[in-house]
Amino acid sequence: MSTPSPRQPLRRRSLFKVAGLGAAGAAGLPVISACSDIESNSGSTQATEGFDFLPTYKEFPLPVEPNLVGEPPNHPSGFTSYPEPVQAVAEVPSGSGTYELTVPIWGDTPDGDDPYYGTVTETWGGTTINLRHADGNTFADTSVQWLKANEYGDAIAIFGWMLGSHSNFTETVVNNFYNLTEILKGDIAERWPLLARLPSSSWGQSVWSTDIEDPDTAGIYGIPMGFTGGPGNAVMYRTDLLAGANLTVPTTIEELLEVCRAWSDDANGKWAFAQLDWFVGQWFGLGGTDGWNWDADQKKMVNNVERPEFTEMLEFRRTLWDEKLIHPDAPTGTLDAAAMQKAGTVLFTQDNMARWNDYALQVKRGEAEGEINPLPPLGAKGREPLVYMNISIDGWTFLNKDLSKEQVEEILDVANWCASPYGTTEYELLQYGVEGEHFTLGEDGSPVYTELGSKLVQAPMNYKNVVGQVQTFLTGDPDVVQKRFDFHASVQEFGAENPFAGMRIEAPADAKAAGQTLWDQQNDIAYGRAELSSIPDILETYMNNGGEAAREYYTEAYKSVHGE
Amino acid sequence: MATLQSTAPPDADRTPDRVIVRRKRTVGQRLRHDWPLLLLALPVVAHLSVFHYWPTAWNIIAFMDYSPYRPFWENPFVGFAWFERLFNDPYFTPALLNTLKFATLNLVFMFPLSIVLALAMNSIISIKARSAFQSIVYLPHFFSWVLVVTVFVQVLGADGLISNWIMDGGGERLNFTSNPDTFLLLVWMQWAWKDAGWGMIIFLAALASINPSLYEAAASDGANRWRRMWHITLPGIRPVIILLLILQIGGILSVGFEQYQLQRQSIGYQSTEVLDTFVYYQSIIGNQGESFGTAAGLFKGVIGLILILVANKIAHRLGEQGIYQKS
Repeated sequence: MSTPSPRQPLRRRSLFKVAGLGAAGAAGLPVISACSDIESNSGSTQATEGFDFLPTYKEFPLPVEPNLVGEPPNHPSGFTSYPEPVQAVAEVPSGSGTYELTVPIWGDTPDGDDPYYGTVTETWGGTTINLRHADGNTFADTSVQWLKANEYGDAIAIFGWMLGSHSNFTETVVNNFYNLTEILKGDIAERWPLLARLPSSSWGQSVWSTDIEDPDTAGIYGIPMGFTGGPGNAVMYRTDLLAGANLTVPTTIEELLEVCRAWSDDANGKWAFAQLDWFVGQWFGLGGTDGWNWDADQKKMVNNVERPEFTEMLEFRRTLWDEKLIHPDAPTGTLDAAAMQKAGTVLFTQDNMARWNDYALQVKRGEAEGEINPLPPLGAKGREPLVYMNISIDGWTFLNKDLSKEQVEEILDVANWCASPYGTTEYELLQYGVEGEHFTLGEDGSPVYTELGSKLVQAPMNYKNVVGQVQTFLTGDPDVVQKRFDFHASVQEFGAENPFAGMRIEAPADAKAAGQTLWDQQNDIAYGRAELSSIPDILETYMNNGGEAAREYYTEAYKSVHGE
Repeated sequence: MATLQSTAPPDADRTPDRVIVRRKRTVGQRLRHDWPLLLLALPVVAHLSVFHYWPTAWNIIAFMDYSPYRPFWENPFVGFAWFERLFNDPYFTPALLNTLKFATLNLVFMFPLSIVLALAMNSIISIKARSAFQSIVYLPHFFSWVLVVTVFVQVLGADGLISNWIMDGGGERLNFTSNPDTFLLLVWMQWAWKDAGWGMIIFLAALASINPSLYEAAASDGANRWRRMWHITLPGIRPVIILLLILQIGGILSVGFEQYQLQRQSIGYQSTEVLDTFVYYQSIIGNQGESFGTAAGLFKGVIGLILILVANKIAHRLGEQGIYQKS
């Protein structure tokens, strides 16, 4: 039998004992745990107005004026005919750099060898921007780790709604991305006239501070995407299916429920909805930022979950489930509602307004039947409807802080070109591709995507969202443009005011985690896994696990804008 | 009673009391002799070092308020604060209990199923039938969980194949793939379809190592199939069973992620939340940060280590080899 050397510092048994001690320590941690404070992930608020270092706004004459003139941003202007495009950027600077931009994609990744990319690259001056596509469905969550590991290439496109997946995004921004302030400060109209024409609030919403308490540390860290307003989402219905069943468009929640009952036939595979969750709140007046609203009567910040309308909303969802008015596999959250509506098995979809135009184009190409329209604003129990007005930029293109100043300026040259508005040759190439390859001109003179153009140019993001255009218009199918223009006009009176306008709020981590649980619990009730009587319990759970702390946080933020 | 005696002649050249002295080889000699083995082991060592041991060292961030944007040692140490938060989280205990529930189910109903499948497969004599059986039970292992869950929804879902058959016959829709009350059964069915065949492979290898002459001798002594299985087959594969059992007990807090995450929305978080999904939703989706997730992972690892050591000790007490032996 071997005898261990007395000089051997650690034997295997000893190692196991050490491990066992560690294990016992970990198992007994609650008893001996220290009470050190954890400071990170405590949320942040950032002003997005009142800066003196933004690019000086300078008019850039639009090549063609819209024929439908609204009141942007909530009621955008539109074009019902396609103008003869003119060139916006007379002299394109020559660039030779090659960069990699990470963008989300929903659907198939397009062929990178298509002439579209080469033509665009050549036209904007030679700078090569290779796209790194990543699945849009998981982009928000997975981008958290790419950013922390600095593995996203030279730039990354992030939509505003994706920030909810990032903890302490302010820290991520100021540590990861190029501070553009020194390059963009003041008059930039000579080199980048189109970027100088972007709304100042677009640039204001691209500001972050390294130290929230110190206004002098604020800087521009992103290139803003499109600046839009008005309702971005709606519940769309098939007009032909509704008329075919001799039903009329509902104008209240009660009427909507009756339409759902009249149209649904579970035994024969017909349901009013395939999915209804994130949109339904506004029908019951449940708006706010992360569910928080200032209650002027109580003079306190109130969360939607505390309001009686929250119970009404869940009662409505539960009725849809109990009476089989929603698809039986709705709880999976994986149904393709748009495809089901197209097939005629579902009447309503909660949707982005952009699908309105897409559907009209599909009908014109013979790929779909009928027509879709948005439901008008609905209210319950005689209350005034509420419509979320989303006055903000869609997102940002962030540049890697490791780039040199010259490289950043070269990318900004490209961004300036991409900011060209509707009615320019730049816009046409970017949005529709090469004539004959990706689009043809229809009978009314407007571009119609070919099958290739639909897959390669229209569907993916590509370069279309590197930056927003100097002004955003309603464009596309003339009928849809006119209807959408009218729809925007009709909902203005129901627009909900954003109590936190002029600031960007990132909720504390505890509140975000509690919010995730609250969402799960709502679905439990909506799909019959929990009873409506459990609402007081979920309220208590939410408040005890981050909700109350969030109330204080949002109250302070509100008072910092509106005063005591 | 007669006893057998050896008839072989005694070894005339053997010197009974001769002591064989082997000179201890130097490190250089051992390297020259064993270098092919070391070379073979090198990729594994490199893999373990890069993907296991090095990341293991970073467990230290469970004791820090970690931010990747600070120099590492500037991250403040917070003691056991993240563990305190973990244990105080109202959703941690339910997730832990769910994990133990699924692990126990797996241990009790899945582990023996693989053995039974291996025994069944071993008893099939026809080569064609054997390959067909093997393919049927083995191939689903290579399907992703997304595919497995989708297939179950398409077949057993409320709007699935069987449900529509039942509806055509005038019955009610199945409520199986979104019913928390039957989720355990659903999980077991998915495991059985996907992984029972895979678990069978190791047992088949162990069965192949049993000397066929033992079966022949037992058969000629009149042992029926059941007695042969009980007295030869099962004892023959017992060390492998014990080894896999210990490893499975060690991984009791790791019951998987995708299967539960994919069905979380349709079944509800209360029935599907296990430790791995808890970490994902609280740490990544809920923005609690890397330290929180690491603390949860370290907790799992430590408990797993304890269980392996205990199970191994018990195996030794019962006279089995276990996963390692005392030197």
